[in-house]
Amino acid sequence: MAGIFIYSDKADITSEIIGFARLNGKLPVVLTLSEKDAQALRNAGADKIIVIKGQSEMIENYARAIAAVLKNEGAELFAVGATPRGRDLAARVAGYLDCAMVSDISSASYKDEQLICTRMLYGGAVQQTEKLSGLSVITVPAGKYEPVQGEASLQTLELQADTRVSVVETAPIVKEGVDLSKAEKVVCVGMALDKAEDLQIARDLANVIGAEVGCTRSIAEERHWLPAESYIGISGAVVKPKLYISMGVSGQIQHVYGIRDAGLIVAIDTNEKAPIFKAADYGIVGDLYQVVPMLTEALKK
Amino acid sequence: MSQAEDKFDSIIVGAGPAGSACAYTLAKAGKNVLLIERGDTPGAKNVTGGRIYTYALEMLEPGLYAEAALERRVTHEQIMLLGGERAITVDFHQPGFNAGDQAPMSFTILRAVFDEWLAAKAEEAGAIVACGIKVDRLIEQEGRIVGVVAGEDEMYADVVIAADGVNSLMAQEAGLIKDIAAKNVGVGVKEVIELPEQTISERFNLRTDEGAARMLLGCTEGIHGGGFLYTNKQSISLGCVFTPEEVARHRKSVQEIFQDLKMHPAIAPLIADGESIEYSAHLVSEAGFRGIHPRLYREGFLMVGDAAGFVVNTGYSIRGIDLAIVSGIAAAKAIIAAAENIALAGPNYMQELNRLKLMPTMKATDGYFEVLETPWLYDKIPNLANDVMEKLFKVDGETPSGVKENVLGAIKANGLSIWQLTKLGIKGVRSL
Amino acid sequence: MSQVIACYKWVADEADIRINADLSVDLSKAKGKISDYDKNVIEAAVQAAAALGGKAVGVTFGTADAKPSLKDALSRGLDEACYINAQEASQADGAATARALAAAIKKIADVGLIICAEGASDTYSRQTAPRIGALLDLPVVTSVSKMDINGNILTAARKLDDCMQTVKVELPAVVAVLPEINPAPIPGLKAVLAAGKKTVTELKAADLGADLTPRSTVSEVKGYVMNRKNIIFNEGDLAEQVKALAAALRKEGVL
Ligand SMILES: Cc1cc2nc3c(=O)[nH]c(=O)nc-3n(C[C@H](O)[C@H](O)[C@H](O)COP(=O)(O)OP(=O)(O)OC[C@H]3O[C@@H](n4cnc5c(N)ncnc54)[C@H](O)[C@@H]3O)c2cc1C
Ligand SMILES: Cc1cc2nc3c(=O)[nH]c(=O)nc-3n(C[C@H](O)[C@H](O)[C@H](O)COP(=O)(O)OP(=O)(O)OC[C@H]3O[C@@H](n4cnc5c(N)ncnc54)[C@H](O)[C@@H]3O)c2cc1C
Ligand SMILES: Nc1ncnc2c1ncn2[C@@H]1O[C@H](COP(=O)(O)O)[C@@H](O)[C@H]1O
Repeated sequence: MAGIFIYSDKADITSEIIGFARLNGKLPVVLTLSEKDAQALRNAGADKIIVIKGQSEMIENYARAIAAVLKNEGAELFAVGATPRGRDLAARVAGYLDCAMVSDISSASYKDEQLICTRMLYGGAVQQTEKLSGLSVITVPAGKYEPVQGEASLQTLELQADTRVSVVETAPIVKEGVDLSKAEKVVCVGMALDKAEDLQIARDLANVIGAEVGCTRSIAEERHWLPAESYIGISGAVVKPKLYISMGVSGQIQHVYGIRDAGLIVAIDTNEKAPIFKAADYGIVGDLYQVVPMLTEALKK
Repeated sequence: MSQAEDKFDSIIVGAGPAGSACAYTLAKAGKNVLLIERGDTPGAKNVTGGRIYTYALEMLEPGLYAEAALERRVTHEQIMLLGGERAITVDFHQPGFNAGDQAPMSFTILRAVFDEWLAAKAEEAGAIVACGIKVDRLIEQEGRIVGVVAGEDEMYADVVIAADGVNSLMAQEAGLIKDIAAKNVGVGVKEVIELPEQTISERFNLRTDEGAARMLLGCTEGIHGGGFLYTNKQSISLGCVFTPEEVARHRKSVQEIFQDLKMHPAIAPLIADGESIEYSAHLVSEAGFRGIHPRLYREGFLMVGDAAGFVVNTGYSIRGIDLAIVSGIAAAKAIIAAAENIALAGPNYMQELNRLKLMPTMKATDGYFEVLETPWLYDKIPNLANDVMEKLFKVDGETPSGVKENVLGAIKANGLSIWQLTKLGIKGVRSL
Repeated sequence: MSQVIACYKWVADEADIRINADLSVDLSKAKGKISDYDKNVIEAAVQAAAALGGKAVGVTFGTADAKPSLKDALSRGLDEACYINAQEASQADGAATARALAAAIKKIADVGLIICAEGASDTYSRQTAPRIGALLDLPVVTSVSKMDINGNILTAARKLDDCMQTVKVELPAVVAVLPEINPAPIPGLKAVLAAGKKTVTELKAADLGADLTPRSTVSEVKGYVMNRKNIIFNEGDLAEQVKALAAALRKEGVL
């Protein structure tokens, strides 16, 4: 059966990709490992939902089997939610099929039976358009397409898992931070901070203007001063606040990617040549330890 | 690692023009050379106004300049005197200047590319180049310098050559210089402004392959110093050099004065719509002959280039790159000649510096220092010249006063006397 | 099974990319560098090789421009390197890259572990490790923030977006590591000198016996420019600048 085969470990993205398939007049077929997701997606507009049964709890381990299904069914596209598990599965399936794959598409549309995809390169500095024909794979980030409605048929499918990798333990990550992608205002800190306690300077400003505190990847992943969901950028959160104020953030392209849709960008940095000033609406060249407390004071009034 | 693997014939600290020229010459003579550079690539952080005299490259190897990473051949030598909003530009154009392949010549250069190219030549010749490594200390044994320490690692050699630039840490470590005297150095700031090749040629009236080198006076708010402007292929290098002591006393910062220069009505149109792609600041030795350190070697140790103080500042140009290369060659030759008895390397080096005419050059330009010391050279003179010009060209229907009265009046208006100017003239002539 | 492969890529430094007015992309001024996170890959391979008692071998697929990467990579502690020097690398997509790397790795005896980074600084497509795994039919573990090797068993912590997952796999395997797996040290003088003496095997496209044509067709490459006001408050002292900023924010109505 031709059509677009879909997988995501996040049901929301699955619904959105179903929306994408319908938008382009294609039959959406959903694959899932989770009975629960299957039920939740019953009315999300798919043609068919296939619940995979097998020996492993890791979807990645079905890559080889899924590749075979896609081939046998004459699928035209495998569209996967761009999450860590999804990207792994998608690339492994592409590897078994030795076919084209476009990761983390910015846009995708059909023209003359070819799928035209755009994606970012070099941390967001460059946009590349690629044409795909024949069975191909894409990964799709959240929030790209509108979900639709419609009832799907349900089916189970026994698949052979590759059990060489097995799960020993799973510890849920408790989200400590807020969902930055929904924040109205964001105060962002970078590696200029000397110590974790100095985060207070950012918090004080954030409290006065009612903002959330975000950071660069290095602050979260190297120094672990803020939780991973607090970092903004191409590999972290993409934010679209009315106001974004950075302090001691150099503004490397990978970070700036995450703030492109901000209403107003304000930067405070000692280095007047820092790339952040090229991305900013307003800037002050100065020491954050001086400037930020003054700004906090000025905005109190 | 055995002692043998830790030992080189020579270790050179710093892959600027001095270090790379030295490494190249030694490696070509079959010496086992290690060239250590702290930048991730040679030249990454090095600052220069922007011109090189290729006679030094000829000395390194005839014809080498032809493949060097150079920008434009200088055919326009210019001097610009700024007075308030006004400017006088003297343009000496000689299309045949530095023409064809009649080395020696003078070219504008960008150091990041040039230094990388020269270090690559040294590597090709057999030198081992280690970048991204900062030398922290020297190793001394029984009164001799025998090696260097970088981070956790020690490395030994018969001779260590300090090519680490002005304010040389190596020379300080060796006890041959103290921390530099502020009086003897200038601080230089420079911006590289990118523009299309065609635009540069049009703005400076340059034909294909031609370049301009311009010296600016009267752009430093009276502070001892001057500016420069060089046309590269696709960029303009614009900068100023100041005496730090005087800047410290001034109400404006170096950056502010430099910003003012960029906005000057005679400069702004030249760089309009350009994109600043590099901004840098660096020290430069200003004392000329008397800035050369009294001792340039000790056993197992030589100093070359800026580390030794080899810079000539004539007021109309700074020469350091050529002297760096020549001194690097001199050191290499001295070491090669001392193969039998390495203790002779130092004395040999002093001889080579004379033989290659480096010391005589430095000495001959010694008098400039005094001329350049003249405090009013940096504001009153450029202003005076502009006043004279203004009077000369102004027609207002009044009975014109004579040229002589005009000049005398302008001298007086600028708070100068004929006597001061004559004295400066005599000093100037003597310095030549 | 004791050799550890570090896949590293020589990329153009994104900070040097110039976007022309017509949005065309100018890479001519861009310096090359080892893809940022591949430095962590190299360090991870050096540590894993020590744990397995074998060698750490760097493998890179690049054009002739990638040559300077070898000295840099080897100075970071690799024992040897394999350089696939092929013009095809400039056009390669994820499929061609994985095929080239897999073909080169097949020529290396006794491979116990293949390490890639989560994503390369240029493509950041996060495909290579899973694709190599599929092509060589080896087990794959991605998003690895920590790994331990005990005998022939690798235990890895995977950072997924909703959980930390600990998995176990018997070697040989392919892993994709996150940069937080280790701090990649800056090489010292002796390490840099030692790099010059290490073995580099250079392979040409023809030596691989692999198809290096891309599976997707690139039809357009264009730069992204951000149009912002770029106003820097630099009049007066800091207090006045801050005042001006506060006033501007009020006026914008974003407070
Ligand atoms: C594939 C890939 C993906 C990446 N993804 C992301 C991502 O999603 N998000 C992300 O953030 N990064 C990401 N990065 C990393 C990114 O390239 C940068 O390294 C990182 O964003 C830099 O963080 P920073 O600005 O905090 O630190 P730095 O670059 O170190 O900047 C610190 C800044 O502080 C300034 N400063 C210092 N002292 C003061 C002071 N007292 N007052 C004011 N200013 C001061 C300095 O001038 C400098 O500009 C990624 C990198 C790669 C290779
Ligand atoms: C603003 C300005 C304009 C100038 N204009 C001109 C001009 O137009 N023409 C001209 O001929 N000259 C000019 N000069 C002078 C010229 O730049 C210098 O004389 C010349 O660069 C000296 O070369 P060098 O090799 O001795 O030192 P440098 O070029 O300074 O090189 C020293 C090298 O040593 C490295 N280094 C330093 N310390 C260490 C360490 N501890 N370990 C490892 N490496 C180290 C540095 O990174 C550097 O690469 C100008 C100078 C300035 C500042
Ligand atoms: N041309 C290449 N040569 C060597 N390793 C590569 C190459 N391309 C990708 N890799 C490896 O695969 C990782 C992920 O790349 P990518 O899938 O393109 O994001 C890189 O960080 C490298 O570890």
